[in-house]
Amino acid sequence: MTIKAILFMIFLVVFLLGGFIYCLYLSSKRK
Amino acid sequence: MEKKEMFTSRWGFIFAGLGMAVGTGNIWRFPRIVSQNGGGAFIIAWLLFLFLWSIPLLIVEISIGKKTRLGVIGSFGKIMGRKFAWMGTFVAFVTTAIMFYYSVVTGWCLKYFIATTFQGLIKRESLQFWHGFTASWEPVLFHFMAISIGALIIYRGVVKGIERANKILIPSLFFILIIACFRAITLPSASQGLNFLFSPNFSKLADYRVWLNALSQSAWSTGAGWGLILTYAVYSHKKENPILTATTLGFGNNLASILAASAVIPTVFSYFATQDFSLEKVLEVMKTDNQGLTFIWIPNLFSKIPGGTFFLALFFLALSFAAFSSLISMLELDTRILMDAGLCRKKSIAVIAICGFLLGLPSALSMGFFSNQDWVWSLGLLVSGFFLTVSVIKFGTKKFLREVILPSKNHRLLAKFFNILIMFFIPLQFLAMITWFFWTSYTENPHNWLKIFSSFSVGTVLFQWIIALGVFILLNKTITKKILNRNDH
Repeated sequence: MTIKAILFMIFLVVFLLGGFIYCLYLSSKRK
Repeated sequence: MEKKEMFTSRWGFIFAGLGMAVGTGNIWRFPRIVSQNGGGAFIIAWLLFLFLWSIPLLIVEISIGKKTRLGVIGSFGKIMGRKFAWMGTFVAFVTTAIMFYYSVVTGWCLKYFIATTFQGLIKRESLQFWHGFTASWEPVLFHFMAISIGALIIYRGVVKGIERANKILIPSLFFILIIACFRAITLPSASQGLNFLFSPNFSKLADYRVWLNALSQSAWSTGAGWGLILTYAVYSHKKENPILTATTLGFGNNLASILAASAVIPTVFSYFATQDFSLEKVLEVMKTDNQGLTFIWIPNLFSKIPGGTFFLALFFLALSFAAFSSLISMLELDTRILMDAGLCRKKSIAVIAICGFLLGLPSALSMGFFSNQDWVWSLGLLVSGFFLTVSVIKFGTKKFLREVILPSKNHRLLAKFFNILIMFFIPLQFLAMITWFFWTSYTENPHNWLKIFSSFSVGTVLFQWIIALGVFILLNKTITKKILNRNDH
């Protein structure tokens, strides 16, 4: 795999998984 | 007046929403489309449209459902006025027409899971198996099974049926996708597939088709504009935050798509690494239609990897879960409308299941009819999304944000952004997509593009849409009287 592909993959995982988990976290905090 | 059921918690609503959004399109359409459009560059455009089309429409739907506490037709009547409720009827009908053949697809997934587990599908010639299956009476049987299981879940109600089913289906689906993804990326030569998937070739972004494909994939895959999340929002808690929920669903849906692509594309590359490998050959396989890739190529690919039977069964189980979780949301959309008109849940779902089975029969028996319906009504979804936008414009975008989305809060910047999106961006995206699809249909088939009885013509689309719209406009008074007179409060 090229460096560019690895970096883009990491960006996607962080963005999508991070965004999803953060939204779930915010939902769990709301009463 | 009937007392409305409610999801027991915010999680119940989120799981149901994810079940609605994550469907077969994530698993069988996304990997194909991303391959055809150059991998990484397409992903950038697809992510952008998540925020420019899908999430705004999901916010609109959740807000309307939560505000009106009525199904799609009643909601349009309340938001736009009775005269315009036919738009809601059209939105509901488009999703219902999709439900008729979606149940057939769910049946195929179920059949392939059973065939892999018990009938040694992996050792058979997959093309022959597919043709044998679709030419037999079995698709009817599995269509019946799919709609019966779906109806049984809806019959049990919002909490014991929809919420409970999705709390099992969605975590299981994500778990299976993660396992499949790990298996795929540990295959020999899988890195070539990952490289292809994640290399952003920015020059591809100059191709307008990449953008339009990204927009259509985002629009169809998230379930935005279908009226499904609007229906689920009827049962949401009054403190539900539409913006947060819509964003959660958007991220969750796109994550499922990336996981599916990371499972399918490296497997395809790994398979061809042992054969006559060339990128052209791989792309040729990925260009085959949805059914071709999933039901003919996938069994072929899995037959060449260690533990193939297990992983193929897992793949079709994931596909069945994704299909069922979406099918039940489609059944609930119609059930809610009949309940708004005064029927009880049991009677409503009985009517919907019988109609769904009978009207799905032509698609179960004829692939030509199936393809035509898929073409006509998946394009109809773009109109549905546009009608939802029109409903907000008619209501007043600023008033909609202030009174429906975020009552008691003042967000000036958000109001400006929302206003621009609803007034300009979404209508512009709708126009661009619909023009492009019609133009492609015309250029690919210049002699038959207006023929009503041609499977993929503009003529067949317009003919079926105009009939549906004509009937709904004519019956508008009767339908709204039945639904809104009971629910005017």
